[in-house]
Amino acid sequence: MQSMNDAVRGGDDQLDSELIARWKSGDERAATALVERHAPALARFAVASGARTDVDELVQDTFVRAFHSLDGFRGESSFRTWLFTIERRLLLDRRRAEKRRRDRTEIKEDDAATEYDALDAVVADETQQKMRDAIRQLSPTQRDVFTLRVAEGLSYKEIAEAVGTTEGAARVHYHNAMRAVKEFLDE
Amino acid sequence: MNDCQNAVIRDQLPDLLHDRLDASSRSAVQSHVASCTDCRRELELLRGVHGILLARTPHVDTAWVVGALPRAPQRAARPLPHWRAWSDWRIAAAVAVLAVGGGSMAVLHRTSATPSTTPVVAGAPQTPAGGIGAGRSITPSAAAVPVSTVATGGESGSGLTMTGRLEDLSDDQLQALLDQVGNLQALPVTEPDPVAIQVESTNGVSPEGL
Repeated sequence: MQSMNDAVRGGDDQLDSELIARWKSGDERAATALVERHAPALARFAVASGARTDVDELVQDTFVRAFHSLDGFRGESSFRTWLFTIERRLLLDRRRAEKRRRDRTEIKEDDAATEYDALDAVVADETQQKMRDAIRQLSPTQRDVFTLRVAEGLSYKEIAEAVGTTEGAARVHYHNAMRAVKEFLDE
Repeated sequence: MNDCQNAVIRDQLPDLLHDRLDASSRSAVQSHVASCTDCRRELELLRGVHGILLARTPHVDTAWVVGALPRAPQRAARPLPHWRAWSDWRIAAAVAVLAVGGGSMAVLHRTSATPSTTPVVAGAPQTPAGGIGAGRSITPSAAAVPVSTVATGGESGSGLTMTGRLEDLSDDQLQALLDQVGNLQALPVTEPDPVAIQVESTNGVSPEGL
């Protein structure tokens, strides 16, 4: 069943392809246009995936890697999906590095609380706070799939490419995440 | 909060949220949601989560990100304007003509300056000194006519020696040769100058009476 609006998705992909072609032919402004189109989604995904600091740096690293290997981008997936794939790998690398650092360093409870409070100040409403907590308690893969599906509207096929799994597994992750969120909110 | 049993519709709720359904699918999902409490609540939940995630989008300094990107590949050379291409073509043609013409003249000079290796037998009939073509067969040997004598008014002195046939030369080369001929100061003469002889009478008798 054709559920996605191919005209909308195809138009976005077409514009990305044109901008990439323009950049390859020497147009620096095309790079700016590509960054402006996709940086907010990458930043949102980074935060939703648990990145607390240096989101700018993560987004920048993602674009730098993407532009350095733009010749290898064959357009089999959308440019945005490809960016999510790169960013997710960077996030995983960062998580592993943070885990190694945490294993070596004792975490002070006060520091963790301060960081948590600063972020939560953005969300004042209690219901919204509970939704945030519901998302936070998901497994990393469930959270990535859920975020890409709900916040960015990616199809299961695109999510599968971004997180390195199958379309069926992405669907299962999404429905498990939705069930977990509902249960959390019902408690 | 319960899950609707219609998994197909539930799968499409995020697509409905992002307006990424075609007209017929959107109509089907909307009519189902209108009559299904579970799907309506799930759609509300999706809207809430979507709103939270959008509200938490951090600002990214686009210029800072772009500043770290690699430079765009070098732009391909743009075609020159028509007038510029035409002008360049003319310059190139002029340079080519000058190079060919100048090169030919240099070769001609070098050829004429180089003494012929063809020996001249002593005592052989000589072209009169200063005659046309005299320079070709003259060597600076003791048995031959001295070069200086030949060169005076000869080919080697005038720089008009040719190595090819006339029909091989271009119009410009021919014109250059003609110009040089016109400017030649030491053109050899074939007829001797008339000599006036005056005979003076020593005894008062006119020469005609002798």
